[in-house]
Amino acid sequence: MVKKKEKVIPIELIPDVGSHVLTIDKKDYLIANDAMYTFYQRSKGEFSEFFLALRDKKKILGCKCPKCGLVRCPPYLTHCYDCDFVATKTVELGQVGTMLSTPPITYFANSLFLKMAPYGRGRVVLEGADTALAVNVYTTTGILAPGIIKKGTKVKVVFRNDRTGNISDIFCVPASELTKAQVAKKGLLASEINWEAVVEPTLPKATAKDTAAYEKALKEIKSVIKLMNSTERSRKDIAGWKRDIQVKTTGGQFAIIINNGDIKVEEKKVSKPDFVLVAKDPKTLADGLAYRGALTDSVIMKRLWLSKNMEFTTIFKLDRMARSVKRSKK
Amino acid sequence: MSKRVGIVGAAVTPFKAKWNEKTYYELAQMATREAVKDASISIKDVDAVFYGIYNDIFERTCIPEHGLHGLIGMQNKFGIRISTGGATGAYTISAAHAYVAAGRFKAALVLGVEKCTDCFDFQSMSATPEVIKSIGWSGDSFFEQPLGWTASDSYAEVVLAYMDEHPKDLKPEVTAKISSLLSQYAKTNKYAQRQHDQVTPEEVMNSRLIVYPFKELEICVYTEGAAALIIAEEETAKAISKNTGKPIVWITGLGEANEHSFAGKNQKVMPRIMSDHLGAQRAYKMAGIKDPKKSIDIVELHDAFVHQLEISMAEFDLVPRGRADSLIDDGLMLPGGKYIVNPCGGLIYSGHAVGASNIMSAWSARNELIKRKKKTALVHGTGSTIAQFTAIAILEHD
Repeated sequence: MVKKKEKVIPIELIPDVGSHVLTIDKKDYLIANDAMYTFYQRSKGEFSEFFLALRDKKKILGCKCPKCGLVRCPPYLTHCYDCDFVATKTVELGQVGTMLSTPPITYFANSLFLKMAPYGRGRVVLEGADTALAVNVYTTTGILAPGIIKKGTKVKVVFRNDRTGNISDIFCVPASELTKAQVAKKGLLASEINWEAVVEPTLPKATAKDTAAYEKALKEIKSVIKLMNSTERSRKDIAGWKRDIQVKTTGGQFAIIINNGDIKVEEKKVSKPDFVLVAKDPKTLADGLAYRGALTDSVIMKRLWLSKNMEFTTIFKLDRMARSVKRSKK
Repeated sequence: MSKRVGIVGAAVTPFKAKWNEKTYYELAQMATREAVKDASISIKDVDAVFYGIYNDIFERTCIPEHGLHGLIGMQNKFGIRISTGGATGAYTISAAHAYVAAGRFKAALVLGVEKCTDCFDFQSMSATPEVIKSIGWSGDSFFEQPLGWTASDSYAEVVLAYMDEHPKDLKPEVTAKISSLLSQYAKTNKYAQRQHDQVTPEEVMNSRLIVYPFKELEICVYTEGAAALIIAEEETAKAISKNTGKPIVWITGLGEANEHSFAGKNQKVMPRIMSDHLGAQRAYKMAGIKDPKKSIDIVELHDAFVHQLEISMAEFDLVPRGRADSLIDDGLMLPGGKYIVNPCGGLIYSGHAVGASNIMSAWSARNELIKRKKKTALVHGTGSTIAQFTAIAILEHD
């Protein structure tokens, strides 16, 4: 079922053997690259039926207590503790459900899930079940923003095309974003959904007013980035980090170059940028860098377009630098 | 008949984002040295140690307490480790109290330590994503870890469910004011990680979303440090107190509860933190508190998130559920208000060195009871997925 060969630890996460010395108050301290790792042949035991049904049959199973009638999903037990441990029975559940409560959305993910962010993780009560199954939730319309999926939102289970017998083989999207036929279909695949394409927004032709606004914003951005570059705390925020960012706004475009602690603005077009930022209003970027509202929030609220979701990491660093400048002034 | 148990010594190390200069061995010994010094006793007078250490991965050692036992002077004596997620420190106090109250020991050391930011993500070249990942191994490994479970998103689930029920509570301007207030309190805590990071409500509102609905300045920070208490049964406590001249702060109530880790019918009630509610009720009962609104003066609350601080205060029956914003709107936790909440700056500004955090909170509560001549404090720890675990201690000053 797994098409491409992958390592259980992605190779890019593994650091080289090495160490360095940090000097604090004229004394040297040793810091070594290290890892704590254990490999497993993990038993899925009594959960095998549930995970194999996900993987091979595109079905979702629950367990029903014959005495109290409670249907639990996930079926995390074989005997009902509410009924003196009577044995439960396997039942198949529907693939549409409602959100138990409003799901949180993770923008700042842990290092294993950076590629997946932003993502929602909530709990769905599937048709036929009494308890809630944790699932990832997405929208087909781009970045998941607060308000799209709430308590009571009707959602549809979608199966990934490549499944491994894991809970992440499925996720949910709002049923309202799908056709009736898609909602009714059992075993709906991710490839059967029209995902909004990632297309760089086109900017309107600049007016004289736009150009003036650009010049004004750029002046502030240059000044703030100069301050970032001379502030030790914010330089630390981009230690070891290297990115060429192309910024496009209605009035003009420029580049932000980050290079291991250094940051600068260059009024040029980068031939191969690591990613592109598009802001209709250049003040959006100036505000974020000057700590008048977060760039992260501007991306979420679609005031700032980001060409690669993975680059939220860099956006976080820029937000962090804005705060570091503020903290250093205190 | 169980014995009365009191706190007769306490200490913390400075809480820092990173201690490159010290290992967790040295941090643990630092707190121990200072705690016995505070009690004016020798470590030889201590019969047992109760370790609060949350996460083996942080310390990069399974059974991380084994290395500590000899170097804190406890060779050949009783030692046991407690690990209950974020509630580790409070549960460690609870466990130590039980042994001493039962007469097993005359004096015991409660020692919490954590060194978390050695974890480092070489992709983003920063510690935080790897620290979050390490905590991420605490989620359910079959049904939740593969979905990107984090401590933040699991607490956010509870907070958002509460907001579903009470959409007019936990207003952003109120959570921002609470965070700002806590940052002011940290100013006088010389051990606080963010002693000099005072923020305005506007700065809190402008800080970036980490996990919706939490903003960066509404979340506790990861910390390295240690905290220690010396607790003793009544006669020993009185002798120590007579010698030091410092009053005894008695542990008069304890309450704990752990909820279900799955949600839905007959399981976790998502909009509630029942563990906080039941833990508080049990602690009040043991301490003989009939009306907590009248009895509780100081609260040292495990504020993993500002929103959760508000919900926890409601679950303790100190403010009405659905009107937790009265903490600010009615001035209940403002300076001069009914409650003194997290005078150390809380875990958001003093720092969250997980196993040590609630012990640091007890250290602060003891100091504040004595300094402000108040009678009763509540110390709280919350932890595990969806705010599942709680332990609460009631401290009273004669």
